[in-house]
Amino acid sequence: MNLRAMPARLLALFRQRELDRQIDEEILAHLELAELDARAAGLRPDEAREAARRNFGGIEQMKEDHRDHRSVQWIDNLLRDLRYGLASLARNPGFATVAIGLLALGIGANSAMFSIVDTVLLKPLPFPEPERMVRLWESTPQGHNGTTTLTFLDWKRQTELFDAVSVENSEKVAMATGGDPIRVSGKTVSADYFQVFGVSPQIGRAFAHGEDQPGAARVAVLSNVFWRKQFAGDPGILKREMVLDGEPHKIIGVLPAGTFDRDEAVFWTPMIFAHDQMNRGQHWLTPIARLRSGVSIQQARAKMTILRASLNGVIYQKDWGFAVEPFAEFLVADTLRRSIYLAFGAVLMVLLIACANVANLMLAQGTTRRKEMAVRAALGARRSRLIVQLLTESLVLCLLGGVAGVALGMLLLRALAPILAASLPFTAEIGMNLRVLAFAAIAVMAVLIMTSLLPSLRTSFGTLATALNQASRGSSGSHSAVRRAIVIGEVAASVILICGAALLFRSLAKLQEVDTGVQIDRVMTMSVDLPSAVYPSPQSAARFYERAVRRLQSVPGVERASVTQGLPLQGVQWGEYMTLPGVQQPLLVRLKFVDPSYFRTLQIPVQTGRGFEDKDRAGAPPVVVVNPEVARYLSKTLAIADPVGRTAGLAVPGYGPIPESLVKVQIVGVIRGERTAALNAPPEPVVYMPLAQAPQQDIKVVVRTFTPPAAAMPAIREAIRQIDPNLPLGDLLTMEQVKEQSMLWAKQPTWVLGAFALVAALMAALGLYGVLAHAVTQQRREIGIRMAVGASSGEVLAHIFRGAFSMLIVGLAGGLAGAFLLTRVLKSLLFQVSALDPAALTAACILMALVGILAAWIPARRAARLDPMTVLRNEG
Amino acid sequence: MSEEKTDVPYGTLDLLILKTLATLGPLHGYRIARRIEQVAENLVRLNQGSIYPALMRLEQQGWIRTQWGTSETKRKVKFYSLTKAGLKQLSIEVANWERATALVARFLEAES
Repeated sequence: MNLRAMPARLLALFRQRELDRQIDEEILAHLELAELDARAAGLRPDEAREAARRNFGGIEQMKEDHRDHRSVQWIDNLLRDLRYGLASLARNPGFATVAIGLLALGIGANSAMFSIVDTVLLKPLPFPEPERMVRLWESTPQGHNGTTTLTFLDWKRQTELFDAVSVENSEKVAMATGGDPIRVSGKTVSADYFQVFGVSPQIGRAFAHGEDQPGAARVAVLSNVFWRKQFAGDPGILKREMVLDGEPHKIIGVLPAGTFDRDEAVFWTPMIFAHDQMNRGQHWLTPIARLRSGVSIQQARAKMTILRASLNGVIYQKDWGFAVEPFAEFLVADTLRRSIYLAFGAVLMVLLIACANVANLMLAQGTTRRKEMAVRAALGARRSRLIVQLLTESLVLCLLGGVAGVALGMLLLRALAPILAASLPFTAEIGMNLRVLAFAAIAVMAVLIMTSLLPSLRTSFGTLATALNQASRGSSGSHSAVRRAIVIGEVAASVILICGAALLFRSLAKLQEVDTGVQIDRVMTMSVDLPSAVYPSPQSAARFYERAVRRLQSVPGVERASVTQGLPLQGVQWGEYMTLPGVQQPLLVRLKFVDPSYFRTLQIPVQTGRGFEDKDRAGAPPVVVVNPEVARYLSKTLAIADPVGRTAGLAVPGYGPIPESLVKVQIVGVIRGERTAALNAPPEPVVYMPLAQAPQQDIKVVVRTFTPPAAAMPAIREAIRQIDPNLPLGDLLTMEQVKEQSMLWAKQPTWVLGAFALVAALMAALGLYGVLAHAVTQQRREIGIRMAVGASSGEVLAHIFRGAFSMLIVGLAGGLAGAFLLTRVLKSLLFQVSALDPAALTAACILMALVGILAAWIPARRAARLDPMTVLRNEG
Repeated sequence: MSEEKTDVPYGTLDLLILKTLATLGPLHGYRIARRIEQVAENLVRLNQGSIYPALMRLEQQGWIRTQWGTSETKRKVKFYSLTKAGLKQLSIEVANWERATALVARFLEAES
């Protein structure tokens, strides 16, 4: 083929009709002229016309030749096949709808899932040179730990290793808006925080050196989304201020839109260390850093080890080292990674089943079209040409399915993004992008190969004679063996997915059965953060707690109110060592601060001793209450039968920047215990301290109501507002919601897998139905004869069901075998359920069998209702 | 008409068309066909229609161009004329042809 002619030929593809018209006109003119000449030469008019025609040669042949040569033939053929493919789909809208729907579902779900896999697990972080970003830790024998202010400042001085080292601390503050104050999330960060990410503001500037030193002017950087929403995208934003916790802050910059818009924080302010924080006792910082270019993580580790050795004189945890880890590693929790891979695996399986179904439908189509193919072959069409035609028809199907799938994927992502955002790291941007589209394109190609190659070959390879004969007679041939094998595969794959889902559902049920130890119904919680400016001292905070509880207690509908530093199931922020006199080994306990009515509000009974009372206030002897895990530890390892009355040493965090101090406390009681962390985690040793003796700024109000808690909400808000009208009200959650959130990690993969399993089962059922229905149509004659010679409709029913059962049973067996091999990947997501839990596996098989029987029922009934006379008359 | 007519030798139709247009200037299809027949003096059998695919091919190569004009029967027809590239192509094809015939002629002489 000549390149020079290529443009003209490609152009010709789009002007076929115009070019056809032109050549017709030329032919007409030619014939007229020839006729004129012939008459001039003395022929009669009819002879002249005849001669002109003869001399011209075959007109149609010439036109065909013209058409073939003026454009690129294979493209021309392709277009013709595409047109033909569309037409044949249009002739068979039922088949087309089902096939495109199946493919759209498979490709859509896969594209959506791939978008999540890609952004969370595959793509590099959306920052320049993300491999240079690291997290710095102190490493303890138990794992990674935060570091202290002074050690952090030592790290910061390692300028030959790091371009920037920064810490961040989340906070919730009240922002004055003119009306009611709003509670906004922000972060206090070191001045070079944005250098670590390699991000510079879109408007204004980032923090300058020295802005994180005491006495610096108060400044803030905003997220793009906050600037647009709260400040209406004011271009003069740099001239404005915002008042946070009563302190005016000058706005110096706005970040670019994108990644940081997904961070919970909407503003950033410099972190200024208080004098009290300058110690090596409080491990409260988890720094992130950007390695100097050219410095490898190994080099950094080696240098940090040397640095650690040089600090031996001042760091008293002798067995703690320094650790440098890639930043990306800590963004995605292990459970999330597993859940995502699991969901992706499941959705790929769904796609496979969808492909199997479509291939099956095509095979069925192929059977009916055999005659057409045979006729075309008899008329001289080459086999390769026939295969290409069938492949093109499949291509049309797959392309339509792919386009519909991408659209569906977009809808899915739009619907899912808000639900998933909370579970995914802020660096994850889910949505349709070129990478996802490329994935979808590859999926379409793979689907095309899987769905069409086999059916095309089978359809066009049949010999002419058998095809012409079989098509009219119709009986089950080797064809249906392939189709049955495909259905068996579908059933097996579905069984695997249903087994996985059943295991997860059982695990979730077990999780839900776990006794939380606290009242869940009719309990409302609300976060409150006491701003340092208004509540500068522990005493002022303690006064607030007392007034709040007293005020809330008088709200109609409120049964009991309390204030606590942490809610059940959300984990306890503080972990401290408790030392007992005369005992070498200190016990690491979670330390929780609650007010006197906390245990009663959440219905946590006191087992021995007493709970907290109003007399346990600042100045009174410090007391603690322990949970059964602590009591058990004491009795087991230290032979202390009754811990009540014992004294212990405890490091207690101070109020705000006040450092922790070692306090001698007396154990006054043992409570029955509450689940403080996620329900799948074993109960941990918890020590409770009266909030009044160790006040904290970030607290939760817990209220038990007589009625559903939502009804009391306005009154609860009003009560807090009466105490402090400037206090913004934070997240309001019922205990029900708190429990839900704590199980989200287990729920999301369960429902996702459950949904996929359901889709898979329905698809397998559809496949089974398709094969059986087709078989019934093909075997009408056979069935008719059987009935004519005396078979009852019951026997016909049984015959069809036998066919269904043979497929179902083999599929179930294969699926179970697959489940035995595959469900172990679920192990880490299962709670108190074995990966081979017999109940779950049995339930899965029964479910699949039921769905299968339902699918077989319709064609079986139809077969049983056949009227032998009509059948034999029509087809005999 | 003579029964011993042969088809136009394979691959020569393009050359004949180009040469015709080079000699006579712009012509419509019928005139080109007639001219080839006249020159050939009934030596070859030309299906007149077969020049149209050839004309289309030559046009796509950029060797000839078309203009709409009016025929003697007052009908709109395409007039074909040689382009610069076509003129060059003609000299190439003529040279090729001469080389080929010279080669064949030499073989035939050598045999006798």
